[in-house]
Amino acid sequence: MIKAQNVTKIFTGRGQVVRAVDGVSAEIARGEVVVVIGPSGSGKSTFLRCLNGLEQFDDGHIIIDGIDLADRKTDINKVRREVGMVFQQFNLFPHKTVLDNVTLAQQVVRKRNRNDAEQKARQLLTKVGIAEKEKEYPSRLSGGQQQRVAIARALAMDPKIMLFDEPTSALDPEMVGEVLDVMKQLAREGMTMVVVTHEMGFAREVADRVLFMDSGKLVEEGTPDQIFSNPQNERTQLFLSQVL
Amino acid sequence: MTTGKAVWPWKLLLAVILIGMAAGVWGAVNRIDYTWRWNRVPQYFLYQGEDAVKIPFDGQIEKVSPMGDRVTVDLVAESGDKQQVEVDAEGLQVAEGDELFEGDTIGFNHAWHLGPLTMGLWTTLWLSACASILALVIGLLAGLARISQNYTLRGLATIYVEFIRGTPLLVQIFIAYFFVGTVFNLSRNVAGIGALAIFAGAYVAEIVRAGIQSIARGQMEAARSLGMNKFQAMVHIILPQAFKRILPPLAGQFISLIKDSSLVSVIAITDLTKSGREIITSTFATFEIWLTVAAMYLVVTSLLSQLVFYMERRLAVSD
Ligand SMILES: Nc1ncnc2c1ncn2[C@@H]1O[C@H](COP(=O)(O)OP(=O)(O)O)[C@@H](O)[C@H]1O
Ligand SMILES: [Mg+2]
Repeated sequence: MIKAQNVTKIFTGRGQVVRAVDGVSAEIARGEVVVVIGPSGSGKSTFLRCLNGLEQFDDGHIIIDGIDLADRKTDINKVRREVGMVFQQFNLFPHKTVLDNVTLAQQVVRKRNRNDAEQKARQLLTKVGIAEKEKEYPSRLSGGQQQRVAIARALAMDPKIMLFDEPTSALDPEMVGEVLDVMKQLAREGMTMVVVTHEMGFAREVADRVLFMDSGKLVEEGTPDQIFSNPQNERTQLFLSQVL
Repeated sequence: MTTGKAVWPWKLLLAVILIGMAAGVWGAVNRIDYTWRWNRVPQYFLYQGEDAVKIPFDGQIEKVSPMGDRVTVDLVAESGDKQQVEVDAEGLQVAEGDELFEGDTIGFNHAWHLGPLTMGLWTTLWLSACASILALVIGLLAGLARISQNYTLRGLATIYVEFIRGTPLLVQIFIAYFFVGTVFNLSRNVAGIGALAIFAGAYVAEIVRAGIQSIARGQMEAARSLGMNKFQAMVHIILPQAFKRILPPLAGQFISLIKDSSLVSVIAITDLTKSGREIITSTFATFEIWLTVAAMYLVVTSLLSQLVFYMERRLAVSD
């Protein structure tokens, strides 16, 4: 489903060169849930953003469903329709109601008519447990509610893959659970997911595989059991000893 | 600081200062022996004129039939054609049976006419409206070009903005009329509107650029991650949000434009300012006319401010 080969992303700015992602290779199968962990600044977000072309990488290949993002002829907008993304800061459209947030891209990108888009949106809002707020503007919702709307918005495009970049990091603790529950349900339904998170409980429970990144490099990968109970690399050990 | 502090002493002070200033001006004007003639001003807004009604052929007055303060006059031409006209009773110049030549006056009609101040205001308003619309289009395009990833577009827009903001509007108007206008054979109105639009457009471009850049980067990323292309993201996500933010500075710019439009009077466009100058050459009510002209600009700009204030509140529903 996703095949990353030697992906490298270099930021240059203010005389500094940062190898944010440094030769990462990974494969993610259809229906697999992969959790990416690692210290802050280790390149997790940048790697995730490369996967849907929000960041252009400098070297390597990312092949999604047989399409190479490094190929200049690839229409990145077409790929992005198939790859949903949920951000740490939700990034809901503040000038649109909850319902419109979920219908807009369906109409603009998928060219669905208003009725179909609304039907789909209501169905998804019900699924994330927030159907009664469809007429509200995002600023009137709590963080947890906003993030669930953001998930519904991404799902409305019928993506084949969902990317989550620390979806619960900006939330008050009591709202983390409601968002994780939605994600767990998605995982059970067989969605292919790549999740950057610091929620180790979620990783243990839901992940098929865990990737550990440090300084832009993929340091270690394995099943949650292998990574959490028996980490091989000392940097993984150090990181886990700090967060667990 | 307590919030319950009384404001009335300050209001009183404000009133005293204003009255003091007015008294000072009054005293100064009295010393130079100026005769105020405010009663001359209203006629420049609206006046009653006499329009002569003339006979369109050589002929005779067949019949004069009064109806209240109006009179119906039947005319008959030498060829036998007949016609009927109406004039004011007190303005009637002819009697039944009179022989007239083509162009002779039958009588007068009194009618209200718009005075030069009203006409000038009208010119100022439509000139500013046309220039504003054009400036909005130019500014939007130039503003988008300023943040474009294309070096050439960005360069062009930057040169445009820098050139316009670095030269005086008066000089730009002269260039537009005497240079560009002569080369391309433009009328003074086109040159005037064009100069104003290009001038305001540069400022609008900066407002648009700042407005778009003030929208969080995550908005564009969220839109793009849903598969929207750049254009779709701009139209549906970025511009509507930016518009709300740029409305106040944009309105300020258009209010400035109305005031700046007074400079087109130098290329002999009869706007409000030029009308004022023309009136002063025929009356000598210099003080009254300039104060009136200033008040008229003030009324227009305040009304516009109020309108924008109202729109801002309407747009604030999603905040
Ligand atoms: N737009 C950018 N410009 C310059 N440097 C960046 C940019 N985005 C990220 N970086 C740098 O890349 C590195 C990886 O960042 P990031 O992927 O956000 O890490 P993480 O998500 O694991 O915390 C950091 O050193 C960060 O400073
Ligand atoms: Mg991050």
